[in-house]
Amino acid sequence: MDLEREGGRGANQLRPIDCSRNVLSRAHGSASCSHGETRVLAAVYGPKAGTKKNENPEKACIEVIWKPKSGQIGKPEKEFEMILKRTLQNICLLNVHPNTTTSIIVQVVHDDGSLLPCAIHAACAALIDAGIPLKYLAVSISCCLTESGKILLDPNKLEEQKMKAFVCLAFPSSVHSTLMERFDKTIWHKLIHSNNKGGMVEEIGKAVEVSGFINGRIPHDFPEGVYIRNVKNGNSMREKVSNLYRPVLKANGVLMFWFAGW
Amino acid sequence: MESKPSTTPSSFIDQQVFPGDVVLDLSKMANQTIKLGGGLRQDGDVISVMKAGKLRFSKPNKYWVESSNKRYVPSAGDNVLGIVVDAKADNFLVDIKGPTLAFLPVLAFEGGTRRNIPKFEMGTLLYVRVVKANTGMNPELSCMDASGKAAEYGPLKEGFMFESSTGLSRTLLSSPTCPVLETLGKKLAFEIAVGLNGRVWVNAASPSIVVLVANTIMKTESLSPVQQKIKVESLMQRMR
Repeated sequence: MDLEREGGRGANQLRPIDCSRNVLSRAHGSASCSHGETRVLAAVYGPKAGTKKNENPEKACIEVIWKPKSGQIGKPEKEFEMILKRTLQNICLLNVHPNTTTSIIVQVVHDDGSLLPCAIHAACAALIDAGIPLKYLAVSISCCLTESGKILLDPNKLEEQKMKAFVCLAFPSSVHSTLMERFDKTIWHKLIHSNNKGGMVEEIGKAVEVSGFINGRIPHDFPEGVYIRNVKNGNSMREKVSNLYRPVLKANGVLMFWFAGW
Repeated sequence: MESKPSTTPSSFIDQQVFPGDVVLDLSKMANQTIKLGGGLRQDGDVISVMKAGKLRFSKPNKYWVESSNKRYVPSAGDNVLGIVVDAKADNFLVDIKGPTLAFLPVLAFEGGTRRNIPKFEMGTLLYVRVVKANTGMNPELSCMDASGKAAEYGPLKEGFMFESSTGLSRTLLSSPTCPVLETLGKKLAFEIAVGLNGRVWVNAASPSIVVLVANTIMKTESLSPVQQKIKVESLMQRMR
């Protein structure tokens, strides 16, 4: 794939990821994450007593507020809020503190493409910083299909605007485990979330067979094609992005960690 | 590879662990009783981590994850600093920085009867003991120790209260005495109450001592014991 990308990036290469936690002194948990130029700040408050009216009082409630860099709050912001809420509800343990509300406020500092994965990483790191009980961490990646049929990972704003189709996927992060032999690998192919615009139904050919082991709510097979064609197996990509969290969270204060491509 | 190739639980002890990490495989440990503290949960046949922190083990069989947060998870037997939010007929509602408000029964005082119910205003700072803390219920507090004596519990008058993390509270309460308190105590006279929920109260004869103690504790939170001693000495020099 000899496509010209800004900065000489390969089609499979991610931008440098940088994450720091405990950046806000008043929030109960906070984190700032950036993928290249895209930067998102997340703050977590909670758990606080009481749930909202239509929510189940036997479980904890998660509330997401998405704040764009500028402009009024409208439908796109509500959509992001809903996506983030469902993704985070999947990773949080909701029965540890029933009848409480945890608020996550996501502030977009700069949008240079691949905004949703950046927001998911920032929200995840902020939840860990606040000590909210989680089942596992989430890692997320976005990819797009260009006019010429090439597939690119982690598109920036210009690439996103010129693309034909776009998909964003989130997975549980890989973990360290004491049980090696009995490791049930199918868990880690679970898809937490997929969000896509556009799709070339005709292009689905060989990709279909390989996607058998994945279970998750995928509307059609196109995302599977993107995912598998560019990555040897889902594991290597997930493992690399998961490595991001560990050094950051080892520090007591703020630690910057750089990661680039593979 | 996705996982560390290790089969013994001891390999994770005193290591940083993250939500989702599997630390114990119960199918290998038949007929053993294990006690799980905060931050761990049982997920079928394995014990996995809920919160990021250091995994700790104490003999014979207790595992827990130690983490430092700004919020507090109530657990029975802890001494905390609470702030009165409201007074009802049977309880005071007290905020202890947990997921829910805690109840302090009106009679939970030494020699407490219906006739001498204490009058706490909103905002009163109390040093209390957590009696019960079950999931889904509001924690219950008491101003008496287990044998029914008052034992220093009750309202804290004057002084200054500041909030920090639960990790700092544990450091201040550790034994042997934490270096900051030891060095400060050699030269200054002050009174201090530490709540495991991240609240610390300091009182002294003059406001400048109170400010010095409070600032020293807050600034030396992330330093090593040796650095703490040095920092405290330099801060005290400036005071003279």
